[in-house]
Amino acid sequence: MGKHEEELAREMRRRGMSRRDVIRIGLQLGLGAASMGMLLAACGQSASTDAEKPAEEPAAEPASESIFDANAGNTGAWPVSAVADPGEKVEISVGHTWDAVFFERQLQFDKLFMERHPNIVVKAENTPWGEFRQKYTAAAAGNALPDLLYTQFSWAQETIRSGMYIALDDWIAKEKDFNLADFTKPSLVSYQYDGKLWGIPYDEGPGNLYYNKDLFDAAGEAYPDDSWDLEKLKAVAIKLTSGEGPNKIFGLGELPSPGDSLMAPNYLFPFGAQYLSEPKEDQCLINNPEAVAAMEWWEELRAKGAVPSPADLQNVAWPAFQFGKIAMTLQGSWATPPIAAGSKFNWDIAKWPKGPKAHSTFSAGSAYMITRDSKHVEAAWIYLNEYLSTAGQTYMWASTGRGSPSRLSAWPAYISSKFAPAGAKNVEEAMSQGIGTHDIIDQPTGPRVTQAAGPIWDLVVAGQKSVKDALAEVFAAVDPIVAENRG
Amino acid sequence: MSIPQTTVAPPVPTGKPKMRDMARKEERSFYLFIMPWIIGFLLFDAGAILASFVISFTNWSALSAPAWTGTLNYTKLAADPLFYKAMGNSLYYGIGSVGLGTIVSFLLALLLNQNVWGITLFRTIFYLPSVVSGIAVAILWIMILHQDFGLVNSFLAFFGIKGPGWLVQPEWAMPSLILMSLWSAGGSMVIYLAGLQSVPTHLYEAAEIDGANTFQKFWTVTVPMMSPVILYNLIVGFIASIQGFVLVYVMTNGGPANATLVYGLYIYRTAFINFQMGYASALAWILLVVIIAITAIQFTVARYWVYYEGDLKQ
Repeated sequence: MGKHEEELAREMRRRGMSRRDVIRIGLQLGLGAASMGMLLAACGQSASTDAEKPAEEPAAEPASESIFDANAGNTGAWPVSAVADPGEKVEISVGHTWDAVFFERQLQFDKLFMERHPNIVVKAENTPWGEFRQKYTAAAAGNALPDLLYTQFSWAQETIRSGMYIALDDWIAKEKDFNLADFTKPSLVSYQYDGKLWGIPYDEGPGNLYYNKDLFDAAGEAYPDDSWDLEKLKAVAIKLTSGEGPNKIFGLGELPSPGDSLMAPNYLFPFGAQYLSEPKEDQCLINNPEAVAAMEWWEELRAKGAVPSPADLQNVAWPAFQFGKIAMTLQGSWATPPIAAGSKFNWDIAKWPKGPKAHSTFSAGSAYMITRDSKHVEAAWIYLNEYLSTAGQTYMWASTGRGSPSRLSAWPAYISSKFAPAGAKNVEEAMSQGIGTHDIIDQPTGPRVTQAAGPIWDLVVAGQKSVKDALAEVFAAVDPIVAENRG
Repeated sequence: MSIPQTTVAPPVPTGKPKMRDMARKEERSFYLFIMPWIIGFLLFDAGAILASFVISFTNWSALSAPAWTGTLNYTKLAADPLFYKAMGNSLYYGIGSVGLGTIVSFLLALLLNQNVWGITLFRTIFYLPSVVSGIAVAILWIMILHQDFGLVNSFLAFFGIKGPGWLVQPEWAMPSLILMSLWSAGGSMVIYLAGLQSVPTHLYEAAEIDGANTFQKFWTVTVPMMSPVILYNLIVGFIASIQGFVLVYVMTNGGPANATLVYGLYIYRTAFINFQMGYASALAWILLVVIIAITAIQFTVARYWVYYEGDLKQ
């Protein structure tokens, strides 16, 4: 591998990019097939190296590579569990799916935890996002799940109902200072079933408007603020669109698609429309006139070329926002560390603008669960209790600027973090003012809904079908699926 | 008249024990040589194949115990529009890529069978694409077929033709993949080349004496003599095409609008995105039945056009 490819591979690993990202970036840089193959191989090495790295050895190289100081954010106020530490050494495994930047922080936490609990050895397994579910579903089939496992809202209900995890209510009840009331209400929604809590959320945050300040400055446009509405967003997105081909700048990063489970709160609710009836998700409402009108309104941005077309996506390095090709994009606060590490321009975040009927943005998050295969449930609980305590959330998600901790008590540390964007207060306000809503597609029928709707919407994107006709087809395909949730 | 019966002592089998020893030795060698495959198959494949057959009669997410559902997964197939879409796409891709690939690789082999200077270099160059890794090929073809600055559309633009969005327009996505499949024509080209070199020259000499021109020699000597090789490439190529997955997954992921949702990708999605292992297993077994049926048809039709040296044709 040549020097430049090595540097590029290192940079890509640092930014926590997937192989698909590498393909897109390589295309834009005009790399040859051989160089691209080597880069892909290098990224593959990165993933497996991370996954195989024993957690008890994080202090050497990884810590020194982290953008975070190992002791920063360590308040020392760790909870003392009612569960006693094991009398002899036990090893617990934890399945994560962090980007490369944040996995370094994970190793820092684990090192500190193991110093506090010398008889608990933590083995962190980091798996790329795209391979996570396949890997751990296979592990579940072989009764070989790690002790603790990351779980995203979108598959939480399905995996809880299949019996993959243990209920945590009894463990929580043992801890005097756990304080379940400290968790934001939307954060718990996806992990409750049958009157029990099966996972502890670590974050729950709203979709925010990330914007490239340099592009705004160049266009002489004022930054987004609370006065913005969606009409303003649209007008500015069109104004900031400029250039051609690989050098084109797009005003907005994305448009709504019924193939996206997070679509409704940002793109439909502001216009008084809905995708599915929430929270039961037992009716499809996307062909109602107000939904059709809303989707047509958004599609005008495509017609103006203000969002990347499928062909543009093949020549725009991705994540395009980090490469300065997108003026504004809708992202959760969890996108902050890779953007902070990888962007060579000034940026900030604002609230998603309000619509004519409502001010709304998606709110979503993830959790950690103790699996049914755990052989050291006590040790796993001690780890989980500290990991997702106020001190743990402050160390992991607040002080690092990643944001949206599920505990209210950790929010002040996030807003004051030097790694948080200047507009971090907007994230907190979106949650506290009720703008962020968990009315997203998270029932077990969700994947089939989005898979059925996405290909139909492709025809709208290709300009071969009208919004109205496509949404009628989406309704016909989706309503029978969500009918399973009736009764 | 009766034939006098004589009692003849059976001949002493002086050479037989030696022959039996040789046969046994050959038999041992046979089993020795196939043993690595047999062991590998029994250890890694046979159990999974049998398990998938049983799983196809269950509802199983891999997360909890399977539930027996009888033939429900198979009856469900009949009402699944994506099953027909994926099967149709795979047949489209299989017929297109194998048909085009056969013509191109056979013609390439004919060209590279000439006795000209540097022929070994040319053969290497044409074979080389076959050894490039799948992901690199995908990247290369994304660039070649790019709507705005791809090689194909730049070439068309030279003649004033505005090229389509090859991989992003539903009607062009599958033809693009078929076109791309020619990239690996070098593999079958080598097999055709080996076949061409084993066509006896006396047949061409005899045809020349009979006054045959170049095309007649090709049609009446080369094609019949190559027909077993063509049949082999058709069968193997079609089986590989209908199971195609990797390039489609990387390049289009079944889109746009399911235009490239091939059967292998549909099985993958069903199993590892939707975690419907029972239904995915049923899909896989139906694919096996379809492949067996198509292969049987190919063998049946082969009776009418494949010529094996030494065969007597009616």
